[in-house]
Amino acid sequence: MKNNIAIFILFGLSIGFSSCKKDYGDLNGATVESFTANASASELNNLVSGTESGLRNNLALYLDDIGIIGREMYHFSASEPRYVTDLLGGGGATLSNSNFYITNPWASRYAVVKNCNILIEAATNSTLITTAQKNGYIGFAQTIKAYQLLMNLNLTDTNGIRIDVSDPSNLGPFVNNAVGLAAISSLLDSAENVFGTAEVVFTLAGFGNYGDAPGLTQFNRALASRVDIYQGNWTAALADLNQSFFSLNGDFNLGVFDVFGTGSGDQLNGFFIPQNQTGELRVAHPSFASDIDSGDDRINKATLRNAVASLDGLSSNRDIWVYTSSTAPVPIVRNEELILIYAEANIQNNDLPDGLTAINIIRSGHNLAAYSGAVTQAALLTEMLYQRRYSLFCEGHRWLDMRRYNLLNNLPLDRPGDQVWTEFPLPVSEQ
Amino acid sequence: MIWLLSGFALPYLAFSQERTLSGKITDANGNALPNVSITLRQGSQGTITDADGKFRLTVPANAVLTISSSGYRTQTIKAEDLTGEIHVKLTEDVAHLDEIVVTGLATSVKRRNLANAVSTISARELSGVAPAQTFDMALEGKIPGAYINSNDGAPGGGISVKLRGVTSVYGNTQPLYVVDGVFVDNTATSAGLNVVTAALANGAATSNANGGTQDNPSSRIADLRAEDIENIEILKGASAAAIYGSKAAAGVVIITTKRGREGRTKISVSQDFGFIKVRKLLGVRQFTAARAASLSSDSATGVALAAEFTEAQSKGQIYDYEKEIFGNTGFARNTSLNISGGNAKTGFYFSAAQRDEGGIVRNTGYSNSSLRLNLDHHITDDIKIGIETNYINSSADRGLTGNDNSGVSLGIALSSTPSFAQLHDSAGVYPNNPFAASNPLQTVALMTNNESVNRFITGLNLDATLQKNSASVTKIIGRGGFDFYNLETNAIFPSILQFQAINKGTSIQGFTRNLNTNYILSLVNTWTPSDRVSLTSSAGLTEETGDYNNILDVATQVISGQTNINQAGALNATQLRTKYQNQGIFIQEEANINEVWMLTGGVRFDRSSNNGDVAKYYVYPKAGLSWNLTKMDFFRSDLFDNIKLRAAYGEANNVPAYGSKFTAFNISNITGNPGLIVNPQEGQPDIKPERQKEFESGIDFSLFKGRLGFELTYYLKNIYDFLMQSNPPSSSGFTSAWANAGNLRNQGVELGMNARLIATKNISWTTSVNFWLNRSLVTQLTIPSVPQGSFGYVLGSFQIQQGKSATQILGLDGTGGVSKLGDAEPAFQMSSYNEITFFNKLSLRFLLHWKQGGQNINLTNLENDFGGTSADYDNVTNKLGVPDGVYRIMQVGTDAHEFVQTASYLRLREIGLYYLFNKLPFEFVKSIQIGLSLNNYLTITKYKSYDPEVSNFGTGFSSGVDVDPYPATKRGDFHISFDF
Repeated sequence: MKNNIAIFILFGLSIGFSSCKKDYGDLNGATVESFTANASASELNNLVSGTESGLRNNLALYLDDIGIIGREMYHFSASEPRYVTDLLGGGGATLSNSNFYITNPWASRYAVVKNCNILIEAATNSTLITTAQKNGYIGFAQTIKAYQLLMNLNLTDTNGIRIDVSDPSNLGPFVNNAVGLAAISSLLDSAENVFGTAEVVFTLAGFGNYGDAPGLTQFNRALASRVDIYQGNWTAALADLNQSFFSLNGDFNLGVFDVFGTGSGDQLNGFFIPQNQTGELRVAHPSFASDIDSGDDRINKATLRNAVASLDGLSSNRDIWVYTSSTAPVPIVRNEELILIYAEANIQNNDLPDGLTAINIIRSGHNLAAYSGAVTQAALLTEMLYQRRYSLFCEGHRWLDMRRYNLLNNLPLDRPGDQVWTEFPLPVSEQ
Repeated sequence: MIWLLSGFALPYLAFSQERTLSGKITDANGNALPNVSITLRQGSQGTITDADGKFRLTVPANAVLTISSSGYRTQTIKAEDLTGEIHVKLTEDVAHLDEIVVTGLATSVKRRNLANAVSTISARELSGVAPAQTFDMALEGKIPGAYINSNDGAPGGGISVKLRGVTSVYGNTQPLYVVDGVFVDNTATSAGLNVVTAALANGAATSNANGGTQDNPSSRIADLRAEDIENIEILKGASAAAIYGSKAAAGVVIITTKRGREGRTKISVSQDFGFIKVRKLLGVRQFTAARAASLSSDSATGVALAAEFTEAQSKGQIYDYEKEIFGNTGFARNTSLNISGGNAKTGFYFSAAQRDEGGIVRNTGYSNSSLRLNLDHHITDDIKIGIETNYINSSADRGLTGNDNSGVSLGIALSSTPSFAQLHDSAGVYPNNPFAASNPLQTVALMTNNESVNRFITGLNLDATLQKNSASVTKIIGRGGFDFYNLETNAIFPSILQFQAINKGTSIQGFTRNLNTNYILSLVNTWTPSDRVSLTSSAGLTEETGDYNNILDVATQVISGQTNINQAGALNATQLRTKYQNQGIFIQEEANINEVWMLTGGVRFDRSSNNGDVAKYYVYPKAGLSWNLTKMDFFRSDLFDNIKLRAAYGEANNVPAYGSKFTAFNISNITGNPGLIVNPQEGQPDIKPERQKEFESGIDFSLFKGRLGFELTYYLKNIYDFLMQSNPPSSSGFTSAWANAGNLRNQGVELGMNARLIATKNISWTTSVNFWLNRSLVTQLTIPSVPQGSFGYVLGSFQIQQGKSATQILGLDGTGGVSKLGDAEPAFQMSSYNEITFFNKLSLRFLLHWKQGGQNINLTNLENDFGGTSADYDNVTNKLGVPDGVYRIMQVGTDAHEFVQTASYLRLREIGLYYLFNKLPFEFVKSIQIGLSLNNYLTITKYKSYDPEVSNFGTGFSSGVDVDPYPATKRGDFHISFDF
């Protein structure tokens, strides 16, 4: 009797057993597969916000990379020596393809590109939104995608970038910087096209007045004008400026920004460090103060410290004070840059009077008298580069400008053995 | 007194056909043996001898007694053969041949018939020499074949146990711990310190990556109390552990806790007092005005520093901050009470213990309180049930050490702070540290990093005989239980701290709730058709479930003086949940032929909700054979009294990590708009478990009537489809993808010798010496090979490459290329446990451990060089003639040889001297033992950092990376225990 009971129990358990398998699903978040199947407008809006939020990932590191190599700033860190060794070429060090300064920003930008590709696919597949709304999502995604690819191309230059990355097992080839810029430009153009028939039903955080379809078009053209001058297409740049929010006499700070906040899941501005810190600090390169014209109010972007900061043979007595709080926004593109693009395009087109007008608007906006030097193309280009240097200080432009004008050799070397790098190697995972 | 009682007992016994037996058990020299187990061959509790070797037991007249004790040959005596006062002499069995060892989920066999090399640790070896702070620290040096590495010296444990080489790269590398049949959890949960340290500079709250974490958590196995443990068996690979299924690929540690026996209720109280000190300090640079000036390249600053130095020197204000931070002496105490006893039907074991220890850093320490009750009861002669319950409350304050990118961990802050800095407080107000982002004295005084655990482990077992006759016994055996804990991590950094200038106060509260349940239900039949053959068949079902829920709240801009997460301006929360269910069916057959041949074979079918295909049953077979040559007719030898050849084979698996099937989204919000961004880990919908196939063979023999025993084992472990996170090109949007990436092989030898070197009446010396080594090789890799597990080639990195050792370290070699600079695998390890007893009263016990070879990646010295504070900065021993500190910094970016250092050591891990008083004038105290012990007091090593045992990345694959850890400690204790 006891035998039988036991056997029945075991038998029953094993039956219950075999049908009792569990598939728990992903308890910790939404999955890509569920989104690309058929997403609603609110789910797509989450993707849009995530994309906008992702623009800020490793942004401080990107600004550090460009600012340090461009000799605008130093980042002294007691725990990370490579800001002053590898990035400055000190002591024979080289840029390593497995180090954080290239692998982290590269990965973050492509993560946003991935999000944009998912957004495009999800919007295309969705049956719950109108065509006009789809175009809104698609245009936004293409514009942001172009912007992210541009940021990576800025770092790797002739080493290039991949353009087509939508299939992770079949990634597109690397293209060099000329082809890359062309591809970015055409991506922006197709987004502009799509915006023509778009309806925007998502909210953006840092776009201000440029968050609707016309505004996004202007933002798109602003980025396009930057790409134009990188390519040397001066006339196209002027045309694109006219369709952007460029305003010669307008506020320098009109534009689109990365914004920060203290809410749950949000980020703070990682570039911000309070003044007069020790241990971890961002300080201005001494040449910032030594090269500036007297009276220029942009000296306030680098405030004097109470004590000189030094590390490993470098020192500086000025803190960087461009972003003045942990929630201070970082510009993506703003009017002051557009004015400078206007100046550059005109000077390069030999339209010196228009170029000079723009230069003087910048100068007077910063407490300087009108330009009184030679009015030749070469001298005005030098003046334009000076203005870009100080207006766009620590906004991620200096190294790129010096590189595209072949002036990297003019950047100061602080220690014997230091070097100015021309580009970053491709991250080791791309080999 | 015994004569009197037997006089009373005899008339009673004559009526009820029972007898009371009493007597004494001694060894061959007549020395009394306490704790010898006397049981009836089928049925009741049995008893154990007291401190004088005496026992008393009531048995049926026709009973057969089994007398056994660890280290001695078991004897079987019929009660009717015993008359009067009984005196049994046990002969030595230094090879532990009669020890019962678990071989299946419900079966066990004597060691003399065992086909595997199963290591055991007795209670005496575990905590009877120099008790360690936590259970995992107590395992060090005691498991041949294992590479045990302590993460650092922080209170509360944190140790990696790798049995027979690396079993996995990013999958589970730690063994399964089973306590009385309950599968206990050993997760290490991060407290979210990455928010403050930014060790993984991606803004996440934890630095969990690549199977490890840099937030220095302890692992939960540290909660167990070593004093409650009767013995530990370690199944080191699939050939032994196959029957345990999904979690057993890295081995199984089977822990059995103490039980009560029939007899007088025994009460034992013990008290330890001790101290804990740092094992070694690195020292600080001796400054002069010129050296102070050279800390800055700017001449004006240099002059100011030199002046600062001169002023400090003139006022006598030069300090050794390393000593001030790490030089505290922690006071330790441990009190434990245990009561055990029982009668013929019931036995109980109760223990209560409380430990409280300080650390070498102020405001750090560990405390652990535990209550346990084990109860066994025979409902009838055929049905036995038991329950083991344990409640543990522990609290560890671990300080803030290890890697960071913000200059706040103690070691990193000290690395740039010279001896003339003025960091002391005046009336509780600390000055800012101009040399680092934090003032370490202020950090130590004001921060909190606490892990508190409340844990319940309960096991139930049932043993019911369904059928019994002279040839066959059938039983149903059920074991199961649950392991539940609540872990609260509490990391508080008040706003007044120097490094809280941006966050203005940080409070990181973590709440983890974990429930593991498991049961094993099996039917076991033992068929003995004749005296010469015995067949044991077992079959059954198992199921394990787990439910883990971790919520981490990071509050910043915290109101001054407050710690609650709502008393803050900003709150970020993350939640991680994992759930799994594993099911298995097993069948096993063991045949014992004439005590000469022992054959076993078995198979397990296993499925798990973590696999890509949740319904698929994976098959894991096992087989084993042992051949006792001495029992063969042709064998005649007086020299050898036991020779056994053995071979075993088994397969086991390691399930994929939870969630590796999915490509998920992460939250990424921007000013109130909730956003989703794709998780950089690509999911793999058809992910498979890792499969391990192990073949093990060996020979065990003993000589000189059991005085000398040898156990020699060779093993070959192949791991197929090992799980690894590949690094896809990050342009895909993913930086990692789980993949079944290739095959890996470990092979090695374990050689053990046990001997009774001296065995006279007054002095005895038993020793065991073990030698073991392991070599790993990646036999196939299907994904691109990249550096991982450390900080890149510049500083030395691990890399999995086909055709190379799995633990190799590559780095820049000074000629412009990358080559192999070392290997974390030791060349070999040896350990020796010795016990010398004088006059049966004074006992000296010690454990030596020698690890030869094996390299660490030592970055602690580099951090100190970089900050200009290393003790040997100004020595000139290099070929360039510059100060050594400068020379070493110059190597960064060209040559990583400097950072890959050999971490060999010879350690006197434990030494204890004990004296036993057992002839006492008081009746109620049976014996008193006093002792002194030292842990970790003597280490001989050339390694140039705090300790060769270190791991910045926790218990994962990459061990041995040294970045300013919490320094290792040594301790001394005084013990006194009373037996009533």
